[in-house]
Amino acid sequence: MSLASCLLLAAALFCVGLYGLLARRQIVAILLSIELMANAANLVFVAFGHYRGGALGQVFAVFSIALTVAEVAVGLALAMLLYRRHGDSRVELASEMKR
Amino acid sequence: MTPTTLALTTLVAPASAALVLAVVPGLRSRGWPAAALCILASVVSLGAALGVLSGCLADPTPSVLAVPWLRTSSVTVAEIGVRVDGVVASMLSVVTLVALSVQVFSLGYMHDEPRPAFGRYFAYHALFLLSMDVLVVAPNLLQLFAGWELVGVTSYLLIGFYYRKPSAARAAVKAFWVTKFADMGFLAGLLTLFVASGSFGWDAHLAPGTATVVTLLLFFAVVGKSAQFPLHVWLPDAMEGPTPVSALLHAATMVAAGVFLVVRADPLFAQAEATRTVMLVLGAATALFAALLALVQTDIKKVLAYSTCSQLGYMVAALGAGSMIGGFFHLTTHAFFKALLFLAAGSAIHAVHSNEIGDMGGLARRMPVTGGAFVVGALALAGVPGFSGFFSKDLVLEAVEGKLASLPWAALLATAFLTAFYMGRVVVVAFFGAPTGEKAERAHEPGWSMRGPLVVLGVLAAGGGVFAAPFAHLYGREYHFEMGVGPSLAAALAIGGFGAAYLVFGRAKGAPLPAPLALVDRVAKTSIVNRVYEVGYRRVALALADGLAWIDRYIVDGLINLLGYGTLEAGARARAVQTGLAPDYVLAAMLGVAGLAVWAVLR
Amino acid sequence: MESLGFGILAGCALMSAFAVVRSANLVHAVLWLGVTLVATAGLYAMLGASFLASVQVLLYVGGVVTLMIFGLMMTRRHGDSGPQIEDVRSAPAALAAIILFGATAWAVVSTDGLDAPVTPPPAVGPAALGRALVRDHVLAFETISMLLLVAIVGAIVIARRKDPGGAAAAAPASAASVAVPKAAE
Repeated sequence: MSLASCLLLAAALFCVGLYGLLARRQIVAILLSIELMANAANLVFVAFGHYRGGALGQVFAVFSIALTVAEVAVGLALAMLLYRRHGDSRVELASEMKR
Repeated sequence: MTPTTLALTTLVAPASAALVLAVVPGLRSRGWPAAALCILASVVSLGAALGVLSGCLADPTPSVLAVPWLRTSSVTVAEIGVRVDGVVASMLSVVTLVALSVQVFSLGYMHDEPRPAFGRYFAYHALFLLSMDVLVVAPNLLQLFAGWELVGVTSYLLIGFYYRKPSAARAAVKAFWVTKFADMGFLAGLLTLFVASGSFGWDAHLAPGTATVVTLLLFFAVVGKSAQFPLHVWLPDAMEGPTPVSALLHAATMVAAGVFLVVRADPLFAQAEATRTVMLVLGAATALFAALLALVQTDIKKVLAYSTCSQLGYMVAALGAGSMIGGFFHLTTHAFFKALLFLAAGSAIHAVHSNEIGDMGGLARRMPVTGGAFVVGALALAGVPGFSGFFSKDLVLEAVEGKLASLPWAALLATAFLTAFYMGRVVVVAFFGAPTGEKAERAHEPGWSMRGPLVVLGVLAAGGGVFAAPFAHLYGREYHFEMGVGPSLAAALAIGGFGAAYLVFGRAKGAPLPAPLALVDRVAKTSIVNRVYEVGYRRVALALADGLAWIDRYIVDGLINLLGYGTLEAGARARAVQTGLAPDYVLAAMLGVAGLAVWAVLR
Repeated sequence: MESLGFGILAGCALMSAFAVVRSANLVHAVLWLGVTLVATAGLYAMLGASFLASVQVLLYVGGVVTLMIFGLMMTRRHGDSGPQIEDVRSAPAALAAIILFGATAWAVVSTDGLDAPVTPPPAVGPAALGRALVRDHVLAFETISMLLLVAIVGAIVIARRKDPGGAAAAAPASAASVAVPKAAE
């Protein structure tokens, strides 16, 4: 176990999350992928905090968790809205940006 | 007032008249106010011009009043303003005097026109006088060119005055076309002159080759404006305009602009002997050629038109022989007697309602003033001793004598005989003999407004010779006249021409042509020069224009259209990228992030 | 021993992460996310962040995952056996992910001295963390709390059903403007 291995793991988790973010169509699945990516970021914070000293890494991780929770709340609200408007929660339905 | 201020007045007066007539509604359409305003402006111009003339006679030193024109940060390319010297003073006086006479004459001649047309006619006249004055007082060739073009435009307007008449509209376009074609030479000459000397002045010293090129180019414009062979074709057609217009533009002033240009640019022409030789040959040839054509015309105005070509040939030949004063003095006397002839012809036409000399006959008895004026004009034109034309023609012949094996001299002498002959023919057929028709019998003398100018111009045409001495004084020369061999010969030929005309046409009714003239008539009727232009226009100019139009439409426009089409197409393609779907945008952003990461690592 | 533990946890986290993004059943995906989060919490504990590990388990696994399941339930059509997962853009997505991972991994591997022991890391206990949060970084802390408040209010506003009668008319204010051209179609 080392900083490098932690970072590699975090990178791997992040990229898996990125894949999910890009490939999935269900808005809830996309939110899950974002959770994965945020989790990977938190891992980086904690790992650097551990190996480079100081409480700062954990402080950042706490803030990041709070941010993620807020994002989940708003994201789920949006998912419900989308579902209510279209009877489905596929993200392609939200294509108002073009129309 | 100083001479320059007076010269400026000759510009301002017609300019104000033209401007007022252009912008004040109702003045033009009512007719008479326009005429009054125009004639008032011409009177003021004439007064100012005579003031300039007297000032110059007292002190012939040139003076210039000019402001910079076309100024760049470092150089003033040209000036605009007025220049006063002997040439300007005499030309201004001639122009304004003839213009005023013609305008007064027009009061009667154009009386039957509808009011708006009447007003329009005088507005054009004010504009013409302004243009001509701009040309005359020009302190450099650039302003002269501007006036030259303005004169061309007003000439177009006046020739095409009866614009509803197809032949008049065509004639106006033809005159404009031909003179414009020649004006390309003026422009090219001007630019060459500017490149060579850095100014538009006429007193530059040029390399011999450059001087020849510049003067030949300028002379090309003169050929067009002064209706020299082979660009004379527009002048007979221009007779479609009202007769007073022909008197003013196509006899006295506008066509003389070409001669005036050569007189003005004399320092340049003096440097180019080759150009002068060309002028001498072309002038003499035109004089003879046009005189021959004048012999066979039956339209009184066409006779006078070809006669004008012929006399302009005299002037050009004199200038080609290096006699500036000869050419210019003949221009002056010609302006008087040719304007007189045209106005008298106009008066006759007005009475008979026909241009054909065959329809006239015996007019002198019923129209003594008109007939007298025409006879005086004819005698002056033919150069009968004592009349103005005799003295000016004598100056020309004296200058030409001995040049180029005296061939031009001989041609001009022959022309003098022919001139007397064809003028004699018109006089005999139209003004003496028996009336040939009802209209000719009922012809009567016109009103005072038409008789007055005839009398004034008649006096000047008859006695214009007395101006020779002061005229020479303006140029710092002495004038002597001796009744030597040359003048005697010319006088004999002139009188002989009249005699011959009387012998041939005096007894016969109508105007049958003797056998040798019938041949000339047949040649004239083929109008070979016009044919050549027609073919040239159809085959060459139109083909060239079609080719250029094709290039413009499919290559120049094609490129632009291709550019536009490409842009539209690219936009349509690029538009497809914008799906409006958030995942696509995220994918694009993430690919960008990945790319950036790769770039950051590899850097 | 340590490395073995790390390997097991890392393997669990990665495997379950793959399961999250690949499983066809969304409920399963949410549950797999819980597994990933728990594995990460284990890693936190190994990295000396025991407080954070417990927060992760309590808040994330207990809160977020539950919330997700609720969300899933509410965005599901009646009669559906379950939300069907139809992946699109798999290939470009995988490409982007692989490129990014390659670049990041290369950066990590090629960075020298990443694991050079600097100073012996002092253990950061809950007390130290608490002090850091509410003393050193109190401004950021309060800002985050404001953010959470705004997010809660915003979520309520967005998800609120304005007109109990119609589903389509329930668009919130922010969506009302885009709803107009839709209605005009």
